[in-house]
Amino acid sequence: MRSFTRLSFLFIIVALFSGCSTDKKNPEWVINEVMVVNESNYVDHFGQRNGWIEIYNNTAKTMDLGGRFLTNDRNNPKKYPIPRGDVLTRIKPHQHVLFFADENPINGTFHLNFRLDSTRENYIALYDNDGKKLLDEIVIPAGMLADQTYGYEQDGIKYHEDGSSTAGILARVTPSSNNAILESNPKVDNLQETDSLGGLLTVTSMMVVFIGLIALYLFFRLSGNIAKRMSQKKVAQSGTLSAARSHSHLSGEVLAAIAAAIHELKEDQHDIESTILTIHQVKRNFSPWSTKRQSLRELPR
Amino acid sequence: MNTLISLTDNLRTFWSYTGFYNAEPGHLIMILVGLVFIYLAISKEYEPLLLIPIGFGILVGNIPFNEAANLQVGIYEEGSVFNILYQGVVRGWYPPLIFLGIGAMTDFSALIANPKLILIGAAAQFGIFGAYIIALQMGFAPNESGAIGIIGGADGPTAIFTTSKLAPHLLGAVAISAYSYMALVPVIQPPFMRLLTTKKERVIRMKTPRVVSQTEKILFPVMGLLLTAFLVPSGLPLLGMLFFGNLLKESGVTRRLAETARGPLIDTVTILLGFTVGASTQATTFLRVESVKVFAIGALSFVIATCAGLLFVKILNLLLPKEKKINPLIGNAGVSAVPDAARISQSIGLEYDPANYLLMHAMGPNVAGVIGSAVAAGILLGFLY
Repeated sequence: MRSFTRLSFLFIIVALFSGCSTDKKNPEWVINEVMVVNESNYVDHFGQRNGWIEIYNNTAKTMDLGGRFLTNDRNNPKKYPIPRGDVLTRIKPHQHVLFFADENPINGTFHLNFRLDSTRENYIALYDNDGKKLLDEIVIPAGMLADQTYGYEQDGIKYHEDGSSTAGILARVTPSSNNAILESNPKVDNLQETDSLGGLLTVTSMMVVFIGLIALYLFFRLSGNIAKRMSQKKVAQSGTLSAARSHSHLSGEVLAAIAAAIHELKEDQHDIESTILTIHQVKRNFSPWSTKRQSLRELPR
Repeated sequence: MNTLISLTDNLRTFWSYTGFYNAEPGHLIMILVGLVFIYLAISKEYEPLLLIPIGFGILVGNIPFNEAANLQVGIYEEGSVFNILYQGVVRGWYPPLIFLGIGAMTDFSALIANPKLILIGAAAQFGIFGAYIIALQMGFAPNESGAIGIIGGADGPTAIFTTSKLAPHLLGAVAISAYSYMALVPVIQPPFMRLLTTKKERVIRMKTPRVVSQTEKILFPVMGLLLTAFLVPSGLPLLGMLFFGNLLKESGVTRRLAETARGPLIDTVTILLGFTVGASTQATTFLRVESVKVFAIGALSFVIATCAGLLFVKILNLLLPKEKKINPLIGNAGVSAVPDAARISQSIGLEYDPANYLLMHAMGPNVAGVIGSAVAAGILLGFLY
């Protein structure tokens, strides 16, 4: 039984950790949507239409893009340093910012020193402050049509479950806003469709609750057994009556009779006994577990 | 004459600002509810630490005023004092702090000594999911049903934390329902405990639990956190704080921190939580058919949880040897109303055998219920948020 408990516990631990995620991780910054040719789409503050690059903060905290680098040249990672100290480069969690590829950086922080070219493949990358660590990159295929964007259907989600890229031409052009417009909670919608009675969720959830608490049960059963054995060992080493009891597994009454006999023998008393030694076990009904004050509270009538 | 007209106008304006002018029947009903809470707390001593702040909060939240005047006094008016205090509920700051205190005041020895009692705490969580099914059938959306179902965990902070994420519009109804039924546990549970157990079962005596070593007590919060939070990370705020509080208590070297967590900190947060939850029950937002449904399902969830715990012990007893049988009267304690549910096991047990002390045995499933309901909350958040 003991080895069964140990094996069960080990099995649960292994089972719990065997699914350790090997999925490709989405980066903290994602080049989320790119328009190469802008003919009748988004207009910048100067009333001009240019290609644009949307960057998405894929984290749950506000992060600053200032000091990082945007480039369209694999050999020049530091091509466009995003100016530091501009409050507008502090991007809130899961929000976007737009950079215009107008080759006109004097127009401000969000105007790049390069353009995008629809006749060839466009490589775009975002580098960290040191210009060495690649934060994200995307390759826009050649031949993008006017007012068409390339990016990810779900903001910040770069990979399918199988690890392949989710990048593609987007059905909707959504500068500075979510690529996927969620009108409702997909989890809730899915449950409403597939589990309208709630039975499936109930069974799954109860299973998870039981697995969690069974894992705790097995661990504390195991640790309890170890603790009990250690305490018995300690007692055994102490050389007391409890030690003898723990060691021999004899009942208290038997040990008491042996102890009394040895004592009398040592003291040279009563070599031959004509009477019967009767040992009454002292009954201890009281313990801190049954203290009276714990039951003072009466039930309301 | 003009002075008289001005005076009359002033008085009329003033009158339009008073509670008397703005009162609606709903306000009076809610004030009555608040008074009942205060009465139950003082006269019957039903969970006074919760019902007094909630009851008085209901009074404060239902003082009518002219909302168009932008006085910034209402709990739902952005920037008002009550609104700022209410953020702890809406954003879920208070429940984890309460859990820190609960962890720092809870002795898990009974659970560690007899770990199979943990499973009763798991079985009682069926109250949550039973109520979830009922809520779905009554027309609530899955996220709303999850928020309502969590009432069955009999854990106020967990209910508030979960509802603030899943269905904030039901927060007042769920919180009031959870706390009311927690206070009424001594009324709800005993009939079902008697109904589902035989006389023979009620007098089962359980072995006195062994003494638990300090090392085991220290291991409990560490392993408890790792085993449960890895499984349900969405329950981390509650589980993390619960086990952290318990480590403060059991480590033996952070006595001051443990005392603060289980004393001044939990008291302060309980006052703020209870009061703001009470004040959030403004008649205009609270008195709806939905709230009545929430109350009805809440009551059922407590009944289901109680019965699930009792029946689970009976099933478990079929598998246990005679000397290890569990008294099914501790099955009700699987709900996490600590320590009231355990006290009920004790009281009912004493009725049938005056020398059978079930309290410490019942504390095992009771504290397991706290962990179980936090895990269940994490599951609901994972599936529905």
